[in-house]
Amino acid sequence: MELEKYQKIFIQESNKYLDELDAALIKVEKNLENRQLWGEIHGKIHSMKGMARALSMDELSTFCHAMEEWCKLFQEGAKTPNERIVQLFFDGTDLLKRFVAGKGEISLPEDLKRLKRIADDLAKNPDELFSQPEPALGPSFAPAKIDRIRVDCSLIEALLARSQEIMLLEKTLPPLTQDQISAGLRAWVNNFISMLKGLYFQLAQLRLMPVQDFADLFGKTIRDLAKTYNRDIKFEIVGGGIEVDIGLMDRLREPFMHLLRNAVAHGIEPPDEREDAGKSREGKITLEAERCGDQLVLKVSDDGRGIDLNSIRAYLKDEMGMSHEDMGELSSEELLSIICRTDFSSANETTQLAGRGIGMNVIARAIEYLGGAMKVHSEPLKGTQFIINLPLSLSIIYAVLFRLGKYILAIPTSHVEAIEREVSDSSDNGTRLCDLRSLLRVDADAVGKGNIIRLRQPATLDLPLPEKGGIGIGADVIIGNMPLMAIPLGELLAKTGLFAGEGIMENGEIALILDLEKIQAAVEHGSSGI
Amino acid sequence: MDIFIFEAAKNFIGIEAKYIYHIADNVKVVSVPLTPTCYEGLIYYRGDLFDVIDMGRLMEDKTSSFHGNPYIILLKWDAGKLGLIPDRIVGMKWIEDDSGDRAVFNRRGDAVALMTPHEIWKMLAGLSYGT
Repeated sequence: MELEKYQKIFIQESNKYLDELDAALIKVEKNLENRQLWGEIHGKIHSMKGMARALSMDELSTFCHAMEEWCKLFQEGAKTPNERIVQLFFDGTDLLKRFVAGKGEISLPEDLKRLKRIADDLAKNPDELFSQPEPALGPSFAPAKIDRIRVDCSLIEALLARSQEIMLLEKTLPPLTQDQISAGLRAWVNNFISMLKGLYFQLAQLRLMPVQDFADLFGKTIRDLAKTYNRDIKFEIVGGGIEVDIGLMDRLREPFMHLLRNAVAHGIEPPDEREDAGKSREGKITLEAERCGDQLVLKVSDDGRGIDLNSIRAYLKDEMGMSHEDMGELSSEELLSIICRTDFSSANETTQLAGRGIGMNVIARAIEYLGGAMKVHSEPLKGTQFIINLPLSLSIIYAVLFRLGKYILAIPTSHVEAIEREVSDSSDNGTRLCDLRSLLRVDADAVGKGNIIRLRQPATLDLPLPEKGGIGIGADVIIGNMPLMAIPLGELLAKTGLFAGEGIMENGEIALILDLEKIQAAVEHGSSGI
Repeated sequence: MDIFIFEAAKNFIGIEAKYIYHIADNVKVVSVPLTPTCYEGLIYYRGDLFDVIDMGRLMEDKTSSFHGNPYIILLKWDAGKLGLIPDRIVGMKWIEDDSGDRAVFNRRGDAVALMTPHEIWKMLAGLSYGT
């Protein structure tokens, strides 16, 4: 199964190189002494040789090597090629195509004959070939069936945005009575809308990638980390066939890198330690994916030493001044969530002791930013599991929309704890008010008692600790909780430093999505707190 | 080459026609806080968000021309997109000599300042945003 997968990658990559090789040979034929072009040709043949070697396609790699040796001579200027030699490279490229089609092997008599002729020529000194007549060209064949295209992700995004915009038109369709619209037209409109939804659905498929492909990105890194830390590790993937939005996967690369590095460096024990603990010498890291409704659940587990709760308790006592009684009231989940606190995460020694490296806070923040949530389970000597819930698509988010002055602003619903009528002193309940009006320089004339949107503290901070107290944001009018098509912030608005993105409402109106991390920082630095 | 010419703050400005994506009218511009005075807001047009700039205000600090003129010139180029609000649209003119940054475009001898979207973008990027 693995071999088949790599063969598929080999064929895809090789076909790309072979197409590029043809194009480069066409160019070099008109500019025989262009060393840069010979360098390009050399690079492509070398890449194919590398892949062939990795898959033990010896005959193919030997053939590539012979072509490569000649390339070097022309690239270095040691020999000057002529058209006869370029033709030999064209013939060689054609033969490489046959090799690729046969997954590294050729068996047809005419192919074997060509291989012998070209290999014999390549075994000579190029000078010997200069005076030889060109062999008759073989029959030309049409290129292989074109059944794949390479498409820029941005084009897919543009098409998705366009189809979403057309779908939004449905929302603006005015209510029409029977007098105004015939049954035939209504049926036509309904059919049109249904086809548009189908189109959107199909376009959305273009952005999907299997979790397996995502996991494969880390296989080599885990292997290298295991070598570095002297661990013996098996990396398993469960639910690799589940397809997920490529944008989401892309943004998970860094957090996953941290999680997996921590699992290797701090979770899995060295083989001897595992053996002493009655475990197999080989540790296991598992990435498991499953779909639950509109949520993607990713679990990263290791069967290592687990997180040391005593280190967490020591931190709570020494750094937070928490009593044993208070600690006793915390559930295991609450206790473990401490490792994601900023101050814990940066306390290098404590985190190392707890069995996790630094950076858990970065991971938790990144996942929250994606509209997701993370939970930690851990048992001493049995291992640790991170359960990450994420929306399946990044393009539509739910947000609480509100007006402040003339602006329409949005806060992702996952970050909203409650919406309350503004009272005279909101600090009574520990909520620190963010003076967004002054932060955004909103005209204060029309200020009346509005609403307070109380932000949810990150789950990892939701503890009865001394500094507990959320942040509240004043709003003139609450528009509602509704879906938004989230669009990354443009270059100019990114300079404002307070917005995370732009959102398009179902009626086509635009809202600005607040960057809550920046708002929180502004409150903490006292630049906007009341 | 074909040049799209418009007037802003008593200047004639010309942009090569290949950058003109569309001339939009009656589109609601959404205000954005913490932006320079020339930054009129955002519009969502055919699946794209455009920053909308009052060119009169960009060229010279004056009152917005937007309320009197509903046209927005939408530009798209390889590195970005932008909506420009002119004081007045002159139209498309063929200009033979595009070697300099100014060219005469009518019999009266009026000169147009030739600009690329990138140059306008650089002016905008140099302004102050944020708190």
